[in-house]
Formats: sequence, structure tokens, C-alpha cells
Amino acid sequence: MDTVVDLISWIALVAGGFFYFVGAVGLVRMPDVFTRMHAVSVSETLGTGLLILGMALQAGLTLVTVKLIIIFLVLMVVSPVSSHALARAALHDGKLPLLANAKGWLVETDCVDIFPELGPRLRQPLSSEQVEQVEEGRSGAETARVSGPGYDYALEGAAPVRSEDDTGGGTR
Amino acid sequence: MFAATTLAVLVVMGLTLARALLGPSVYDRILAVNSFGTTTVLLIAVLGFLDGRPEFMDIALLYALINFIGTLAVLKFFRYGALGHAQDPDRDREPE
Repeated sequence: MDTVVDLISWIALVAGGFFYFVGAVGLVRMPDVFTRMHAVSVSETLGTGLLILGMALQAGLTLVTVKLIIIFLVLMVVSPVSSHALARAALHDGKLPLLANAKGWLVETDCVDIFPELGPRLRQPLSSEQVEQVEEGRSGAETARVSGPGYDYALEGAAPVRSEDDTGGGTR
Repeated sequence: MFAATTLAVLVVMGLTLARALLGPSVYDRILAVNSFGTTTVLLIAVLGFLDGRPEFMDIALLYALINFIGTLAVLKFFRYGALGHAQDPDRDREPE
């Protein structure tokens, strides 16, 4: 019984540390204030909960567990309030989210608008897709008909021409 | 067991500090410092387990509350410029 409790608390502590780390990586790498807030909420809820569960299992039924549960409840009440206050202050200051305009409506965005370095990569077809016909478009760019399992679309731009023998899905 | 958890929490603190130093706007920094405070709460609790001192839970609980009040105080200061009986400057403005 003791080893089972130890095993579960080990798993909970490792998982809690992992989710905490994921939230911190999201905090560093996300492009906007609001997306960073969303990443932190993962670590503050799931990471904290799992870590406190792991510690409570180690402590057993003592006063320490009661205090840990009280810490968890306080953090669960307090984190959304401070997130809401921070988001409201940022909106009031004029910071708009990346995908919304001033009225709060969702703006139709291509991810190339936010990350322009993805543009050349997005214009290439996947290795599992088949390029069927290449024709000259209006502006001189080649337009290819790309088809994969269950879909097909027209791909403009630098589409590589495949030979007749290539059936697609080969390793790159 | 708790040594590994302490290491993970310290790494998270380092990443959060990186965002607090990098963040281009003040709201990034407030968010990073708030998250740093929550991480501190967990670090104090884990260190209490590591050293075998159950009194650290009280310190962790207290700091969770202080961190919350501090974040709200910083936000209020940045909005109104004062922490006293600040009035909303947009309160009596005529609707456009």
C-alpha cells in the first residue's frame, strides 16, 4: 500500500512538473500578451493541482494536507481574478489580441500574416499529396492541382513538378 | 523525489524571469511576476517537504494571498497613478 501511494505521488509530481514547464515555455514563446496569459493558466491550474496532489499523498491525513488543500483552493479562486483584471487592464490600455479587431470581432487571418517566415514553406505541397496538373496562372505563377486523401485544392506559387513515376507518399 | 520537483520549479522560475525581462509591454511583465509569485508558493511548499518542516505551508498560504493583492495593487497603480481613493477618470464623461 505504501509503494502504491509512493508511485502515484511520484507520477503526480512528475506530471505536475511537466505541465508547469509546458506553461512556462508557452509564456516565453507565445506572440501576444493574451496568448501568454492563456499559457500561464495551464501551469497555474493543472501544474499546481498535480503538484499539490503529489505532496498531499506524501503527507497522508495530517494537518499539512489540510493546509495544502487550502492553498489549492485559494489559488483556484485567486488566479482567474488576477487574470481577468490583467486582461481587462490590457484591453483598456488599447492592446488588441492578435486575431481580433477593435470591435472585438474575429479577423480572418492567414497564419502567414502573423508568421511571414512560414510563407515559402506553406506554398510547398506535402510529401503525401499528389500534384496533378501544373498550369500557368494569370500573374505568371504556376498553379497546381494538389490532392491528398479526401481533399484537393489549388496551390499557387512555387509548386515542384513531380515526375510520372512518383506516386507520392515517399520519404523525404 | 522532492529534489527533482524543486529542480523543475527552479527551471520554471528561470523561464518566467526571462519573460519578465524580455516582455515588450508592462502587462507581460506583470503577468510574469504574478506567475513567478505562484511558482514561489509552490517552491516554498516543496522545500517544506524537502526539509521536513511543516511550518512552511503557512508561509506558502500567506504568500499566495500577498501575491494576489500585490498584482491588483500594481494594476491599480498603473491605471490611476495612485493607490489611494482613486476615481475613475472616465466616470463622469459624457457618452459619445
